[in-house]
Amino acid sequence: MARFKNKKKGFFKSVVKKKQQQQPNVDHITGDKIPKSFVFSRGKLPPPLKQLEMDLRKLMLPYTALKLKEKKRNNLKDFLNVAGPMGVTHFLILSKTEAAPYLRVARTPQGPTLTFKIHEYSLAVDVAQSQLRPRCPQDLFKNPPLIVLSGFGNGDQHLKLTTIMFQNIFPAIDINTVNLSTCQRIVLLHYNKDTKLIDFRHYSIRLQPVGVSRRLRKFVQNHQVPDLRSLQDVSDFVTRAGYGSESEADDEAAMVTLTSDLGRVNRASTKSAVKLQEIGPRMTLQLVKVEEGLCSGTVIFNEYGPVGDQKKDDKEAKNQDDNEESAEDVEDEED
Amino acid sequence: MAAEVAHVPVSERGPRKRIFSSKKGGKGKKKMRMMPGAGEKVKINPKMKKLYRKRAKEYNSDDDEDEAEPTTFEDRGDLEKEGGVSSEEEGDNVDAENDGFSDGEADEIQPGIANFSEGSRAFKTAFKSIIKNAVAEDALGPVLSAHKKLVAEKLAEEESERKVKGEAKKEKLMAGEKGHVKPAKYLDTHEKFLIGVATKGVVKLFNAVNKAQHAQKGLNPSRFKDEKVIKKRRKEAFFSELGKTPVSAAVSKGHSSGTADEGPAWAPLRDNYMLTSSKLKDWDKMPETTVADDGIGRMSEDDGSSDEDDD
Repeated sequence: MARFKNKKKGFFKSVVKKKQQQQPNVDHITGDKIPKSFVFSRGKLPPPLKQLEMDLRKLMLPYTALKLKEKKRNNLKDFLNVAGPMGVTHFLILSKTEAAPYLRVARTPQGPTLTFKIHEYSLAVDVAQSQLRPRCPQDLFKNPPLIVLSGFGNGDQHLKLTTIMFQNIFPAIDINTVNLSTCQRIVLLHYNKDTKLIDFRHYSIRLQPVGVSRRLRKFVQNHQVPDLRSLQDVSDFVTRAGYGSESEADDEAAMVTLTSDLGRVNRASTKSAVKLQEIGPRMTLQLVKVEEGLCSGTVIFNEYGPVGDQKKDDKEAKNQDDNEESAEDVEDEED
Repeated sequence: MAAEVAHVPVSERGPRKRIFSSKKGGKGKKKMRMMPGAGEKVKINPKMKKLYRKRAKEYNSDDDEDEAEPTTFEDRGDLEKEGGVSSEEEGDNVDAENDGFSDGEADEIQPGIANFSEGSRAFKTAFKSIIKNAVAEDALGPVLSAHKKLVAEKLAEEESERKVKGEAKKEKLMAGEKGHVKPAKYLDTHEKFLIGVATKGVVKLFNAVNKAQHAQKGLNPSRFKDEKVIKKRRKEAFFSELGKTPVSAAVSKGHSSGTADEGPAWAPLRDNYMLTSSKLKDWDKMPETTVADDGIGRMSEDDGSSDEDDD
């Protein structure tokens, strides 16, 4: 979203080519550092979780290693060593215990680390299967997603930290320069105060012109010759009211007026409706632990144990070279 | 195989024969003694296989002569192991010795065919007797074994084993699937609500972008001249924002956009976190007025439920 697409292709061609070889560490318009991420697993994952890992990688595109190879003997340090030169700023680590799968989101190289328990999850495949017409345009994953965080604003420190962590996991958008056609996806994190669960959703954004009958819209979109057999005159095709989309009327809130053209259908200064369609994966997370370091260090926040457990945790953390068991620690405290 | 058998003896038929006949007697006796150990398991190596196949072929030519036999004998050194089967054969061979050799393969086969009809008669009677037997209605069906019970037991054991294995596998699969949920085919209220929240966020962002970019419409930010104009306009917008909220202006200096309305990034996200703020260790004891309070206030004020990353 923050990457700038210039219309003058000739001028920027060489830059673009270079980018394909190596992604820039810094946004060349705003000069902000672009966050990059690794998604990997600790321990052996069952097949569905492996798939979830893959889905998460796709979600994190384009600033992530889609084909990151992990080996059994790789420990956290290996990833950390690679992360430095490659400018990777965030780790998403999946692990599994008997109790539940866990997702750790960490900032490299110094932390903090947020540990989430995954209560429920659905894969992108499952989501697509549940839909009548799953949608996946070609360039869907070419740009980073937007992120919407909602319900976090009640002032708790750990929630604030979660907010900031997730805000910084994707490149920031500069609203003065951003091209809206690059905003194709959105990641939603919704915090439920009562259950203390975070709903993690991933949607694709689609814009649809408003105030046009469905027939006309389809005609413009599809490039297909319409069936005029039942009509007397061509004008009938245009003038006949036809029913608009049913959901069109009720969603006044989802209307957007565009300043610039967005594709062929959505023109400048016309009204468009924002339509979201889920692409998955879908997760229900619970923040169980916040650690200061990268999967180590003092525990800033713990869902289950009181802070008195902190010392015990510290000892354990020191004993572990590789912090694979940290998720299990959490589980222990749960009991 | 037949060809080999045919031409090997040609060179050394005479002398070999004699040597063998002398050896035969002793060997044969040995075999007879070994009869009780017939139950011993037989190791099948390729040579043995060859032999068996050959013997099967010759099976019907019971007492008939085959001069090839001695040569194969020579081939197998480990015949002793095989016990009963071979010893029986041995007897035949001893008989065969007396007859001298017949010549050629053709001769060998002919009697075989002749004897087959005879053998088949025996087979017929045997088969008929089996067919005649009334088979007990068993779960196993007809089993041609003396140890019927044993077979049944073994099968039952196998079945139970498979069951256990399957259960273990299933359990493992279930453990792997833990937490995995297939979404419903329809949008329930919760999902609808979430989509609504996300839509709100998107609309907000789009509107903000439109508002910001409306000012610079028609200007190309990559052109130097336009760049200047844009900068100027942005500055004006920025200062107008400043006039409204002097506190947040100082805060949002680092951000390039005017509408970004959250506080500074929280300390743990800075690179020098914990190097500078050692007092954060007991964060829970302090009143939370130190860090980014204005941001929180604004967030709850704007919409109460949705705030969005558009800085």
